[in-house]
Amino acid sequence: MSNREKLKNLVLDVFLLDESEFRFDLLREDIGTWDSLGTVSLAVGIQDVFGHHLSPAEATSLASVADIVAILRARGVDFPDA
Amino acid sequence: MREPEVWTLGRLLAEDLGPTVVWATPSVAARTGASLPHSVLDPQAALPDATRTLIAVGGGTLMDAAKIFRAESRPDLRLIAIPSVWGSGAEASPVAVAQDGLRKRIRLGDQYVPDVRVRWPELADSLSDRGIRRACGDAWSHALEAFLSPLADAPLRRAIAALIGRMRELPIGRDARWFDVSVDACRVQAASSVGLTHGIAHTLEGPLRAEQADFGWGHAALCATFLWPVMSLNLRLSEGTARKFEEEGLDLSAVLARTRLVFDEDGYDRAVGPLATRWREVLRDPCTRTNGVLVRPGALEHFVGKAFAA
Repeated sequence: MSNREKLKNLVLDVFLLDESEFRFDLLREDIGTWDSLGTVSLAVGIQDVFGHHLSPAEATSLASVADIVAILRARGVDFPDA
Repeated sequence: MREPEVWTLGRLLAEDLGPTVVWATPSVAARTGASLPHSVLDPQAALPDATRTLIAVGGGTLMDAAKIFRAESRPDLRLIAIPSVWGSGAEASPVAVAQDGLRKRIRLGDQYVPDVRVRWPELADSLSDRGIRRACGDAWSHALEAFLSPLADAPLRRAIAALIGRMRELPIGRDARWFDVSVDACRVQAASSVGLTHGIAHTLEGPLRAEQADFGWGHAALCATFLWPVMSLNLRLSEGTARKFEEEGLDLSAVLARTRLVFDEDGYDRAVGPLATRWREVLRDPCTRTNGVLVRPGALEHFVGKAFAA
């Protein structure tokens, strides 16, 4: 599975979205379940799926799916077409 | 965090408490009435205006009701908590959980901490062996979910590891030391969070009490029933789970053995159907969302297929 697919599945599962609701340009405010607990779940999921630990400050700074891609790219995770 | 004073029963009897009312869980009401020189009132009855001290004697549900009543309706009262069983740690905790229809609502704050907790361990003597196992499972679920919580930082995780070490020395059985250990377990979960076991317990308690009234479902029963399956899921989904135990020098297999001892297969078989029906609610529960491992929708199969028992 590509990293792009892994991230999509992660976001769907963390925020309990239907597949039709997902886009790579989703913002935090587009996702009703992306509250503070959603941020915690997201950080746990990123650790589980990509093996990268986010500090609380990094996790709370995420404001979009694009931000997640950017922070993972900065850690060396390859997203060729995201 | 505020800490309640700790009194013995002797000190309670010697203190001048002013006009005092006692709320007691039915299972200990007769003993309480015979031992304390105060009126035992139904918690549903109005409290006399002159009351200055409320003594709550019972389990976590009654204790939480008293904490919420004092904090939100009569902040002038002195609240004295006497647990009839260990596990919840409610007698010292800033957390108060109330049933709201079929859902649980969690309150958190120093105003919910009782002023005094009293040690009266003999109250647990009448508890059944199953009740004792459930109480131990309640305490273990607090400690283990707090330990694995993503909100526990390194110093807190180290402190919880030390607590788990103390808990391993206690039997899954009657032992008065469980009272103080349970208070510590509740304290650490209030400082971090709990996880999926509590998400399941909070989602299913109301429906199971209504649908299976004969089984005696409650928070402790659900925690004891689901702790082992949830720990197994956490271990299966993430290598990080085992690593946390290893990093703190904890014997994971010995800890898991404790969770198996409190497991109730009969209860599990009764609860797994309702769990499947309400799985979406479990996933949305705040406790589930601070589980140590991300809980995905597909994790339901672990429970339905009893993958933990394989």
